[in-house]
Amino acid sequence: MTIENKGGANSFHQPDENFEPYEQHGKMPWPLIAIAIGLGLWGAATLFDTREDVATAQADRTAASQADTGLTTDPGSALFAARCSTCHQPDGMGVRGAIPPLAGSPFVAQGPELVATILMRGIDGPIRVNDHIFNGHMPSFASALTDIEIGALSTHVAQRFGGSSEAYPTTAVAALRAAISDSGSFKGGQDISTITGLDFGNQPAGKAQVAHSLTPEVSALIFTGRGEQWACASCHGDLGQGKENTPRLAGLSADYIVKQLDDFANGRRLNESMRVVVATLSDSEKRQVADYYAGLRVPSTARPELGGDLARGEALALRGDWSRNVPACFSCHGPSGFGVSPEFPPLAAQQAAYTASQLAAWAGGHRNNSSLDLMGRISRQLDDADRRAVADYLASLPPVPAGEAEQIARTGVRP
Amino acid sequence: MNRYFPLSILALAILAFATLMLVIAPGIQIGRHSAPAGLKPYTEQEQRGRDVYVSQGCVYCHSQQPRSPDQAPDGVRGWGRPAVAGDYTYDTPHQLGTMRTGPDLLNVGARLPSRDWHLTHLYQPRAIFGWSIMPAYPFLFEEKSAAGPEDVVVALPSQYAPKSGVVIAKQEALDLTAYLLSLDRTYPAPAEALRDDGYSGPEDAK
Repeated sequence: MTIENKGGANSFHQPDENFEPYEQHGKMPWPLIAIAIGLGLWGAATLFDTREDVATAQADRTAASQADTGLTTDPGSALFAARCSTCHQPDGMGVRGAIPPLAGSPFVAQGPELVATILMRGIDGPIRVNDHIFNGHMPSFASALTDIEIGALSTHVAQRFGGSSEAYPTTAVAALRAAISDSGSFKGGQDISTITGLDFGNQPAGKAQVAHSLTPEVSALIFTGRGEQWACASCHGDLGQGKENTPRLAGLSADYIVKQLDDFANGRRLNESMRVVVATLSDSEKRQVADYYAGLRVPSTARPELGGDLARGEALALRGDWSRNVPACFSCHGPSGFGVSPEFPPLAAQQAAYTASQLAAWAGGHRNNSSLDLMGRISRQLDDADRRAVADYLASLPPVPAGEAEQIARTGVRP
Repeated sequence: MNRYFPLSILALAILAFATLMLVIAPGIQIGRHSAPAGLKPYTEQEQRGRDVYVSQGCVYCHSQQPRSPDQAPDGVRGWGRPAVAGDYTYDTPHQLGTMRTGPDLLNVGARLPSRDWHLTHLYQPRAIFGWSIMPAYPFLFEEKSAAGPEDVVVALPSQYAPKSGVVIAKQEALDLTAYLLSLDRTYPAPAEALRDDGYSGPEDAK
C-alpha cells in the first residue's frame, strides 16, 4: 500500500519534491490464515490416512515390474539373470553352435551338486550336450561368488532347468569348495564323466593343456630381462596377472598381443616403457611371448577398486547406453567379455585401473590404434563415472578361460 | 592496553583450544585404530631406502596420498584407492607431500613392481620418458668396466649407456628401489578405517 501525499484541502499545493513513497505492512485477514492452516491440516490428515495405500501400491508396482522382467524375489533367479543369462540366455536355451543349453542338459539334470561343481571349476574344453558339441569356455565362479550365492544359484538352475526339487545348502558348498580348491577347470565333457563317475554318453576327449615350451632366450626375456630390456614378468607379474594400470596378459589372444607389441614398436600405440621393451624384439620373439601369455590359465587378481557404480557398469557392458550411442561391450567383446579373437581382447578380469585408464586414453586421443576408431568413438561418450563403473564391473567378472588355482600357488616359481 | 592478565588468559585459551582440536582429538581418534592387516613394517633395507628418499627430497615433487574419485582421477591413473590413516602406521615422519610435480608414489610398488625399471629410471628418467622433468640420480650409480658377480647391472638403451663398461647400482640405489617397491597399499582398506571421503559422505563413497 503506497501512502501518497494526503489529498483534501492541501491537494492543490505544490507536491513535496523530497517525498519518497514507502510501503507499510497491512494486516493479513484472519480468514486467510484460518484457510491456510485448515488446508495444511487437511493435507497432513490425508497423508496419514492413506499411508497404507501408498505402501500397498508400491508393493504392487514392484511385483508388476518383477513379473514384467521375469525377475522374482528368489536370489538364485536374480543371480542367474546377472551371471548366467548373458551366455546361456534368459530362457536357458543357450546359443546354437556356441553356448550349450541348460534346459534339457543331462549335466544340469544331475542335480545341484554337479551344477555347483561346474560353477566353481569352470570348463575349458569340448563338451557334448544332447546332440551338439560345444567348445566349452565356462569361467570359474569360485573367486567371483560366495558360498551362499553359489548355493542359491545352483539350486535355482537345477530346479528350473533340471527338474530337481533338491535345495543345495551353503554348508555343502563350503565343503565342495574345500574339496575342489586346487583342481582347476574341467577339460571338457569327458573329464566331467571321468571325475564324477557319471555317464553322459559319448563325450569328446579334452585336449591336454600342453605346458608351453619356451626357448631359453624367450624364457630369459620373460623372466630375467636382457640387455636394454626389463623382464615382462617384472611388471606384469610372473603369471601375467597384472596389477593396477599394468594390464593382465594371461589369456589374451596371441594375435592381439602381437598386434599391440608391433604397435608399440612403430609408434601407433604410445607407452614409453613398452617402447623401450619392444625396441629390439624380433618378430619370432614377439610371437613366442604372445603364445606364452595366451596359453596361461590364471585366476583373477582384479577387484573393483575404483568406487564405480557396478549396476551402471553392468548396464553398459550388457546393454550399452543408446541414448549416447554406446553399444554394449559384450556385443563385440563376446558374452561375459571373453574376447573375440583377434580384434577384440578379453575384458573379463582385466585390472580395473588399466581398463579405466585405457578408456580415458581412447577418449583423450592418447591411444588410437583400434580399427575404425571404434573404441575412440565409444570412449568419448563415456564420462569419468561411467569409465570407472564399467572398469569395476569388468574387473568383478571371472576370467575366461578359467584360471587354475594351483597356478597362483606357483607364483614366483619359474618354468 | 593495560589489561595484560585477561589478554594472556584469552591467548592461552585459544592456543589450548587449537591444540585440543588439531592435535589431541585427532591423536585420540587415530590412536584407536591399529595397523591394517595387509600392511607390513618396513624391512631394514627398505628403511635405509626410506632415508635416501627423505635425503634426496623426493617429497618436494611426489605426494604419497591418493585421493578419492570425486577429488581426482587417482584410481584411474593406477595410483590406488584413497589412502586411509592406517596406511601410514610405519611412516615416521610421513612423506605425504603437497606437490604433485611427479605422480603420487604411495602405490608405486604395485603399479611398477620392476626393480630393473626403477634402476633405469633413477639413473636417467629421459631414457624411458623423453619428456620427463625428473632429475637424474647418476651419483647413486657407478660405472665399471665389467660387472662383478654380486653387481646389479642397469639396463640402458644404447644412447644412454656408457661408451664402454656397464652401469652398476650402488647400495643406496638398491635400498631406494627396495623402498619404492614396498610402497604398496593396495590391500583393502579396513571397514572402520579413517578415510578421506572427499565431498561425499561415507554412504556415497562405495
